[in-house]
Amino acid sequence: MSTEENTFDLLRVPLIGRVLKWRHARTFFQVPLLLLGVLMILHGFLGPSLAPKNLATTLTWVHFRGALVLVLLVAGNFFCFACPFVLVRDVTRRFFRPVRNFPRYLRNKWLSAALLVAGLFVYELFDLWSSPWWTAALISSYFLAALIVDGFFKHASFCKFVCPIGQFNFVASTLSPLEVKVRDQAICTDCRTKDCIRGRRDPISPLVTIQRGCELALFQPRKTGNVDCTFCLDCIQACPHDNVGILARVPASELTVDPLRSGVGFLSRRKDLSALSMLFVFGALLNAFGMVSPVYALENWLARTLNVTHEAPVLAVLFVIALVIEPIVLLVIPVWLTRLSVSGSPMSVLVRYSYALVPLGFGIWLAHYSFHFLTGFLTFIPVLQSAASDVGLNVLGTPAWGLTGLAVGPVHAIEFGFIGLGLLGSLLVSYRLAEQDAPTKAVRVFLPWASLAAVISIAALWLLSQPMEMRGTILGG
Amino acid sequence: MHLRVASRTYYFNGRVISRKEAQKIQKSALVLFLLLCGVLACHRSTPTPSITFKYNVTPQPARVGEATIDVEIRDKANQPVSGAHVELEGNMSHPGMSPVSGVAREIESGNYRGTLQLTMAGDWIVLVNVTLSDGERLQYRFELNGVRSN
Repeated sequence: MSTEENTFDLLRVPLIGRVLKWRHARTFFQVPLLLLGVLMILHGFLGPSLAPKNLATTLTWVHFRGALVLVLLVAGNFFCFACPFVLVRDVTRRFFRPVRNFPRYLRNKWLSAALLVAGLFVYELFDLWSSPWWTAALISSYFLAALIVDGFFKHASFCKFVCPIGQFNFVASTLSPLEVKVRDQAICTDCRTKDCIRGRRDPISPLVTIQRGCELALFQPRKTGNVDCTFCLDCIQACPHDNVGILARVPASELTVDPLRSGVGFLSRRKDLSALSMLFVFGALLNAFGMVSPVYALENWLARTLNVTHEAPVLAVLFVIALVIEPIVLLVIPVWLTRLSVSGSPMSVLVRYSYALVPLGFGIWLAHYSFHFLTGFLTFIPVLQSAASDVGLNVLGTPAWGLTGLAVGPVHAIEFGFIGLGLLGSLLVSYRLAEQDAPTKAVRVFLPWASLAAVISIAALWLLSQPMEMRGTILGG
Repeated sequence: MHLRVASRTYYFNGRVISRKEAQKIQKSALVLFLLLCGVLACHRSTPTPSITFKYNVTPQPARVGEATIDVEIRDKANQPVSGAHVELEGNMSHPGMSPVSGVAREIESGNYRGTLQLTMAGDWIVLVNVTLSDGERLQYRFELNGVRSN
């Protein structure tokens, strides 16, 4: 079926399409981000130790996170597209080509999910938002990790199996309105070279690849959705028929279908992806919980109960409650009620319906990160002015420290809107799944999952309405 | 950049280089690394203070709203330092917030008092920027953790 004529295709938009189809488009966007990354690292290590006055902390925790989720919401995974870590890796691979495949037992999302938990834990334990030095160290270690992993292993092993930010983006991009997709399946059926996956070979020396194919093992004709797609656009460059576009689609629609996906498999059989999705949802609540007043009362109570004075065990208990006990307690009832109408093991029901909560999880991340982004959007200006002034460049003028962003009131309304949007998405996905599994008892299957989504939404709204406390100190503070 | 050694053959950027060249590159990399460490180490050293500061914040515990900050400045001989211009600046520990500022006036010899409007609960870092009567500038910093919401 041809999708070319009636679907919006970003590559057909004048100028934008031409830029994105340019052979060096990715590098063009990666280079400024790489320079920015280097600037952030230098300022983080050598600049002011106050987080609000340092580019590393300001750009990472206010701007990068906010821009990331907003771009995922309105477009797609364009941050992976412009990833500077991959640029450094690509340059290194000009001199050193790895020959090993990533270990088979690690070719799943368990490692990256564990790293995502570790990232969230370290963020809270070491108050990364308040430390330019540690933020710079984190960015540097990211560059190093990408270099080491992809220095040893072939293809995009780091992106597909290790990078926690990438996994976050993969899950969130299931809600994006754009997808890298085949325009006309019939053309792929007749295609003999399969360059989109194999890469385009030199006609004279067929062993030489002149344009690589998908490094994440996504074969375009059988690719469904955005999971594992870094928007690198290699397939677009490689396709000899100009048959791959960046097409519009209904956000979250990929969560309502379960075909065999190239490079991914069946979503309903991927326990690791399901766990990652649950982590995405409950991690959103936990991360937002970390910045409101009640968390400190709870942590102090936990510290007294456990009779500890160090933050790590308290945080560990909190993480186990939020990421293990809470999901189990909340998911048991919907799974049990669903099995009254739908056949399948509890695990298969859990895995299948876990994806229905992803839109709500994304709504919570959006609400949280957009708060920092919108209320502090202009703060990069005085920080940049100050950084320039510190190195003797006064061309940017005196730092205007009064610049911030939107007032908290309107931003709260936007936050609530994102939660509502997420809830709506989760309701639609769960109803669609219920309809497919039990056409005559769809409402009966739908209601427990709708109730669960409502409970999580209420918890999120409660969290966002709490007085915010930007604290690093917990015990005895 | 990649330096590969295999059976006494040295490669750099894909080309064969001599052993001397390889050693030179290794030494340069080492010197660069040590220089970087040195720069970082120097940057993190702190000078010995010639002036001592004491501070007091009211109310305790601090809450969102006005906080009164008393600063006592003394010299090496433990004598009060008078006639200084003292500015207060409060920053949250999280980026994305604009700082708050105020001026502390001398209420008695060597004792200065000013206020800061703490706009949000959480951890604050207060900078005391002092210009002594002889023009010397000093900065003192203290943490005001756990400011509570009303």
